Amino acid sequence: MLVYREDVCETSQGVLRVRSYTQRTLSAAGCQTLKTYFHIDMDAFFVSVEELFDPVLKGKPVVVGGRPNQRGVVSAASYAARKFGVHSAMPLRTAYRLCPQAIFVDGHLDRYRDYSSRVFRLLKTFSPQVDMASIDEAYMDVTGTERLHGPPLKAAHLLHERVKRETELNCSIGVAAARMVAKVASDQAKPNGVLWIVPGQEARFLAPLDVRKIPGVGKVSEKNLAALGIRKVGDLGRLDERFLAERFGQWGLALAGKARGLDAGGWFDHEVGDENDPKSISHEHTFNEDTADSSVLEATLAHLAEKVGRRLREHKVFARTIQLKLRYTDFSTITRAHSLDHGTQLDHEIFSAARDLMRENRKPGSTIRLLGVHASSLEQDEGQMSLLAEPITERWRKALSAMDQIRDKFGESSVSLASGLTGRFRERVHEALPPDVGDAKRRSED
Amino acid sequence: MEFTVSKTDLVRELNLSQGVVEKKTTIPILSNVLLEASADRITLTATDLELGIRCSCPAKVKKQGSGTIPAKRLLDYVRLLPDADVDIKIQENHWASLVCGRSRTRIAGISRDSFPELPEMPEELAQIPVSVLAAMISKTIFSISAEESRFTLNGGLLLLKSTGLVMVATDGHRLAMVEADFPLPSISTTYRALLPRKAMAEILKLSNDSGADAMLRFSGDENHLFFKIGERLLLSRRMTGNFPDYERVLPKEHPHFVSLDRDELRGAIERVSQFADERSRAIRVRFVSGEVQIHSSLSETGESEEALTSDYTGETVQIGFNAGYMLDFLRAVGEKQVSFHFRDANSAGEMRPVAAEGAAVNYQYRYVVMPMRI
Repeated sequence: MLVYREDVCETSQGVLRVRSYTQRTLSAAGCQTLKTYFHIDMDAFFVSVEELFDPVLKGKPVVVGGRPNQRGVVSAASYAARKFGVHSAMPLRTAYRLCPQAIFVDGHLDRYRDYSSRVFRLLKTFSPQVDMASIDEAYMDVTGTERLHGPPLKAAHLLHERVKRETELNCSIGVAAARMVAKVASDQAKPNGVLWIVPGQEARFLAPLDVRKIPGVGKVSEKNLAALGIRKVGDLGRLDERFLAERFGQWGLALAGKARGLDAGGWFDHEVGDENDPKSISHEHTFNEDTADSSVLEATLAHLAEKVGRRLREHKVFARTIQLKLRYTDFSTITRAHSLDHGTQLDHEIFSAARDLMRENRKPGSTIRLLGVHASSLEQDEGQMSLLAEPITERWRKALSAMDQIRDKFGESSVSLASGLTGRFRERVHEALPPDVGDAKRRSED
Repeated sequence: MEFTVSKTDLVRELNLSQGVVEKKTTIPILSNVLLEASADRITLTATDLELGIRCSCPAKVKKQGSGTIPAKRLLDYVRLLPDADVDIKIQENHWASLVCGRSRTRIAGISRDSFPELPEMPEELAQIPVSVLAAMISKTIFSISAEESRFTLNGGLLLLKSTGLVMVATDGHRLAMVEADFPLPSISTTYRALLPRKAMAEILKLSNDSGADAMLRFSGDENHLFFKIGERLLLSRRMTGNFPDYERVLPKEHPHFVSLDRDELRGAIERVSQFADERSRAIRVRFVSGEVQIHSSLSETGESEEALTSDYTGETVQIGFNAGYMLDFLRAVGEKQVSFHFRDANSAGEMRPVAAEGAAVNYQYRYVVMPMRI
């Protein structure tokens, strides 16, 4: 059934009038209304926040992530720095080579978290259906808000201005009938723009773009697709879906759907605002210099365990499986897991499980590049209580809850386990995760 | 070595060694049973270095000596022979030849020189009725932890006092304790030993094969524990480490208790727990005036509830428990009536047998279970 719609929008560039015919699909359950999604993506988020604290940085090439001579990667780069080819996740030393005149600043995760939650609160006033996909981007379902905010494009402009007014930060907004398309649109709208993909025009909008622009297509899949002669999204549309499914399985099928502008596969299978709890929670750390010092390693492990414990408590879940990740100097990586006989969210239990795994599995005397602690088999209930440890467990529970309150008030580094004190490190996150990073990871960054 | 033995005797004694011989070993000799022939008996010895067992049976010995044969292969073969005498001869090359009627078989053995020497049993410390010890084991063994990393919980604690025996096992979630009263005049100061689970299981097996009032002679040295029933000797490496202070964990008192029919309770839990999460096996037990309600639900599968009449008159209390833990006790307890003692959803509950009227009680059985938070 074709539906005629007309959108009128007043922008600073004048009045915009869009007429379109859209196809309404009839599902078995009855008439399905057309969805409208926003994808709100903060522009150079970390750099923009840093600029608020130090206006001198404005307009200059800025690299957030650490000093140029440090090991580590770029967390974020300003648009001026990006012109030199600097981008996030690039080694700091490479960034320095490309753009030696850039100002290198340490990241302040607490500031970004703070601004991220300000943005989230603001978005929540606009529509109840909001999902923070990462620290600097959000999806919003605005279906059915036309009486409140007006037609999609007008609503998007309204929101765009409100974000700027209330946070002094720029963002870009993509508007579409599918979240995947909205995400691509916000990327195309950057910087500081709003782009609406009129329903029905998705495939035409996507066709000329590189396949890499599609969420879920990373470096590896880009290469695999290129081997088949597929470089643009449009090339995908010309292929038979069955061929893609045979060649790439479920992922291929989802990809075919995405090329047509549908939400398919992985994270896009969930609705915005659905409370889907994390499947796992993990933290890892790459040392500035590889180390073989057991006390440093165990202190770092304690610190990582603390962070995992804090997040388990935040999400009100209990982990039954604790996994250790060890990366040696030669980049060879092992993961070893231990299943507990009860669910836990207590730092010291996570730590002792991870420490035992390290003592059992680390090659003696080996130097370590990266350590990670991963908690999974998450459950809603604590389950079986301990007969022997209960009084101690109860005291830990109270102590950790007090620590969490202190952290909420005074910041993450205000209090810590003694064993983790020397294992502290500067926090690093990336502004936007590469599209091929798993959903659990993506969600865990918010 | 050469001897003739009755097939039935040989099979019976070999059976007892099967639980001890190492099945997946990197040391081949540990899969073998040591056969030693003396004047008019043969002795069979098996060990996995943790446990050792020595049994014997009468035989017509033609030539004294010894040799080792793969235990499982020997039993699997001899079991199939007709009930008759078997002639066994071990040759110079360590091969064993077996002749029974018209069956002739040769089995490759290993020289006894590499078979580990088992320690001799030191002076006996106490004599315990086998049936008493076996009953104590079967009431506690299921509470032993299966988690290998908690090695002090991988066995049971045995205490010998001048007034009786105590056996305790716990996996950190529940604890089973049995105290049996009878005089042990040979014990002056309390003797404490940690018994590996496997040794406990073997004692149970030996007890099944011994008379109702057989006595067990117990002894121990620094590293080993010895249990001798008749001519059969089981020895076990003594576990090291500190068993938790179980007396601290035993609740001093419970404000509430109900008395229930064991089989009714067991049946109800078995049925309701069909709808409990497979891994956690969580069920809810609700004590309301006049009733005990047992409930379990799985959002995607279904739910089930049963009510048992009880004499309870207190306030309503709901506690989550692992159904498996409760059933373990209900399957082990001998009395028809059990009592359930509790405080609230966060405190340990306790189950005990209720002695039938007029029955003489010379033992105490306590089973403490920690609740689940659900």
